[in-house]
Amino acid sequence: MLRKEINDLLTQTGPGTKMGELFRRYWQPVLLAEELPANDCPPVRVKILSERLIAIRDSDGNYGLMDEFCAHRGVSLWFGRNEEGGLRCPYHGWKYDYTGQAIEVPSEPATSNFCENVKLKGYPLVKLGDVLWTYMGDPANQPPLPEWEAYTVSEKQNFTSKRLQECNWLQALEGGIDSSHVTFLHSGNLNTDPLFKGSKGNEYNAGDLKPFFEVVDYEGGLLIGARRNAEEGHYYWRVTPWVLPNFTMVPPRADHPMHGHFWVPIDDDNCWAWSFDYHPTRELTDTEVEAMRAGKGVHSANDDAYRPLANKDNDYLMDREAQRRGETYSGIHGIALQDSSLQESMGPVVDRTKERLVATDAGIIKARQKLRKAALALAEGVEPIGNRPEDQKVRSVAIVLPKDQPFVEGIGEAMVAKPGVPQTTV
Amino acid sequence: MPKVVYVDESGVERAVDAALGDNVMASAVRNGVPGIVGECGGNNSCATCHVWVREEFLDAVGAPGDLEDDLLDLGVEDRRPGSRLGCQIEMTAELDGLVVDVPPSQY
Repeated sequence: MLRKEINDLLTQTGPGTKMGELFRRYWQPVLLAEELPANDCPPVRVKILSERLIAIRDSDGNYGLMDEFCAHRGVSLWFGRNEEGGLRCPYHGWKYDYTGQAIEVPSEPATSNFCENVKLKGYPLVKLGDVLWTYMGDPANQPPLPEWEAYTVSEKQNFTSKRLQECNWLQALEGGIDSSHVTFLHSGNLNTDPLFKGSKGNEYNAGDLKPFFEVVDYEGGLLIGARRNAEEGHYYWRVTPWVLPNFTMVPPRADHPMHGHFWVPIDDDNCWAWSFDYHPTRELTDTEVEAMRAGKGVHSANDDAYRPLANKDNDYLMDREAQRRGETYSGIHGIALQDSSLQESMGPVVDRTKERLVATDAGIIKARQKLRKAALALAEGVEPIGNRPEDQKVRSVAIVLPKDQPFVEGIGEAMVAKPGVPQTTV
Repeated sequence: MPKVVYVDESGVERAVDAALGDNVMASAVRNGVPGIVGECGGNNSCATCHVWVREEFLDAVGAPGDLEDDLLDLGVEDRRPGSRLGCQIEMTAELDGLVVDVPPSQY
């Protein structure tokens, strides 16, 4: 269980909250590049960390993210005209450049310098891979651009999607560091999903319902090792890195692309589940990309607003027959929706004072404590971890080790992302 | 058999003979001492066997482990210098006579 005040601390990320201030020390994915496909394309509404913003790509290709509302009398700039080097409010013609600086207030005399003093709140918006990233904190504290391996390899080695998840970000994150549920919830998919099947690890996964967790501190967060029985004298280890505040990676299976997530708060009741696949040493095949687009693996089939087609309004297309036949353990199709259906079912922000944790929740306990400490320490002026490029050069690992070997020793440097070096996988 | 004394908030003492190697949570639960829940069965996961170890026993009992320390921060209402999870205190002959205070609630 978690005390109420700590649950509030960890789940509230709006401006001025302690966790919100922590999040504002990290670059976060905010849009897929396809959402701003061309210069002067329509502006896009963005809500992130409970702030309502508008994103544009101007006539010169500059990306910008700024307050959604005109400084004049507060109308939404989503109705604006994005043309000729900026976004013009359709109400009285006020015009802003991509940084949010007003550059024209047509009602004022030509000699007036009024607009020089009008600036909307604005954040940088930077393209890395097929994703646009923002940093919402004080510019004085802006860390270097992120160097996640998934976004330093070529774009043809990566596929990224996002889906709306209608619950607090922490519920989603906690699913990402909980290897224990895979044996149950995803059991029907391990041997059928084209992006998961064919791994010897799936047999170990299915064969041991009582994984043992060992959690160790690592550069920017934690390495969460889940141990299951393998051949005589050996354990199968799945090692999930978590980097503060919201990056997790799924341990690999066979030579499939590796996957991971960013769990980005929209507001306290909703988040974006960013899901990526990449292969460190080769381009993704057409078949793989097709499967990802179709919602296989960690991805989902979504509508134009990135809300999954199977959602809480249609009971996630529950299929009791498939549940009975054992094709899907919960009756929900697709690994991503299996997770989000259950995490949304807990309610927007689950009351963690009522939960009953068990030993396989060790990773969750450690992550909560690290988040809590980081948020409280930041309020006292202590710089957070996880936003330095060296913290981000990390990978998940799947490995079989002799029983007497601690996993941290056994994996050596396998969790370090090294360009051109294949992943360590089973 | 080492003895453990559990003291509730009104000062009522309950002495229990613990088996060697048993822990402070399990001996309480086995002997029906109120106020110690031990929901997770002694897995260092739930923080419902919180006790305050009396100061004179602190050195002998020792400091909480890493995960236990996190659970004491996250899950207990009134953490004090003597706070420990009962399931993580193994009874030894040296701890004979250990006195712990039981918090009014584990939730």
